[in-house]
Amino acid sequence: MEQKKNIITMDIRGQICPSCLLLALKEVNSNIDAIRAHQCELAILSDDRHAMITIPESISKMGLSSKVESKDHGFEIRIFKDI
Amino acid sequence: MNNPYVLIILISTLCGLSAGFIMHRANFCVAGMFRDLFLFRDGFMLRMLLVIIVGSMLVFETGLQLGLLSYYPFPLLGAPSLANIVGGFVFGIGMVLAGGCVVGTLYKMGAGSVLSVVAFIAMLAGSALYAEFHPWWSTIAKAGVLVEEAITLPQWLQLPSISLTLPLALLGIAYLWKTYQRGKLHHNHLLPGSIQPLHAALGLIVIGFVSYLFVGMPLGITTSYAKLGATVEAAISPGYVASQGYFQATPLHYTPPFSETAISGGAGPQLDAVAAIQYPLIIGITLGATLSALLLKALRFHYRLPVRQYLSALLGGLMLGFSARMVPGCNIWHLWGGIPILAMQSLLFLLGMLMGTWLGGKLLTRWVIRV
Repeated sequence: MEQKKNIITMDIRGQICPSCLLLALKEVNSNIDAIRAHQCELAILSDDRHAMITIPESISKMGLSSKVESKDHGFEIRIFKDI
Repeated sequence: MNNPYVLIILISTLCGLSAGFIMHRANFCVAGMFRDLFLFRDGFMLRMLLVIIVGSMLVFETGLQLGLLSYYPFPLLGAPSLANIVGGFVFGIGMVLAGGCVVGTLYKMGAGSVLSVVAFIAMLAGSALYAEFHPWWSTIAKAGVLVEEAITLPQWLQLPSISLTLPLALLGIAYLWKTYQRGKLHHNHLLPGSIQPLHAALGLIVIGFVSYLFVGMPLGITTSYAKLGATVEAAISPGYVASQGYFQATPLHYTPPFSETAISGGAGPQLDAVAAIQYPLIIGITLGATLSALLLKALRFHYRLPVRQYLSALLGGLMLGFSARMVPGCNIWHLWGGIPILAMQSLLFLLGMLMGTWLGGKLLTRWVIRV
């Protein structure tokens, strides 16, 4: 049976670079083991377009995956480990 | 042309609008060019700066050789001084804490960033505050002058400018071509509506050259930050502004291209040549970014942010405004205008700014973001 994933949401709307990337990396590093074990995903809410480039690029260097979705409030970046 | 202001205002407005639009679409953060190298070991945007410097070097030199440029070096550049390093150092710290440089703050503010609004107001205050310290600082700056008789490196070495700019530009092109082939000049993740920073850099080279050609100098805006600050001060205390020598001086005095009438201006509250050149740029960059954000439906305002970030924007803005007068000049003036003609003031500013950005990154991660 597939274990239900814990989704950790972080709202950093209004923040600009480099805060967005620094905070995202801090949150990823705090939960890196759980993400790698497929136990949790991060959902980052942001309206900084620059962060939609810098966060996915940094995440891919860490061996993780990300998916950016446009929302009413801005964007949501999902950070997870591919199966 | 009888009235030189018409062409200046028109060109500056167009340059500002297009620069603001392009910078917003490409997230062209000049502060991030240096900051991200120290914080994230990411040199992508620094390569974009190299594109601008190398491209402008070639374009400005071509303009000079073809006799298209009215001034070379352009007005307001001065003799190199150790003060340029100190000013650059404070500027570097300020732009990291403020979350953007003097231009980055404008386009981010135009796109709705409340932190950038705080940084912008603080920049005006910092620029105006400098007037109080100007007599003291100008004495130090004069004492620190390294070379009296030359503004650019070729002038100092008594060489034709092309003998230095052309080999340097060719070296830069060779390096950039290699990085281009490795795919290091393109972002892999782009949002719909975004512009590749490489294309933005090429556009900004054209904008800088158009300004040089028609206004007589590349982009620069920070004297007007002091001017705006002085205008606010004059509304509150006109006597105080009138008593400040810095606000009475008119260091800009030149005859613009395509004109026979000399114009002048300074940091005082009066509407003069500095206002005609720089106010349209400031308004243009801000509105260009607003237009870009509106078209993308990305204009949003969020003010519920950590207090530390507000304080950082405030302190950074004050430092930016103050140091841009200490140098004098801002990063785009020196990096996109001065360095391509090898102005020694600009090279010293860059040295100081690099050190300041490194320290700014340390302060940011220690006291503001706390990672």
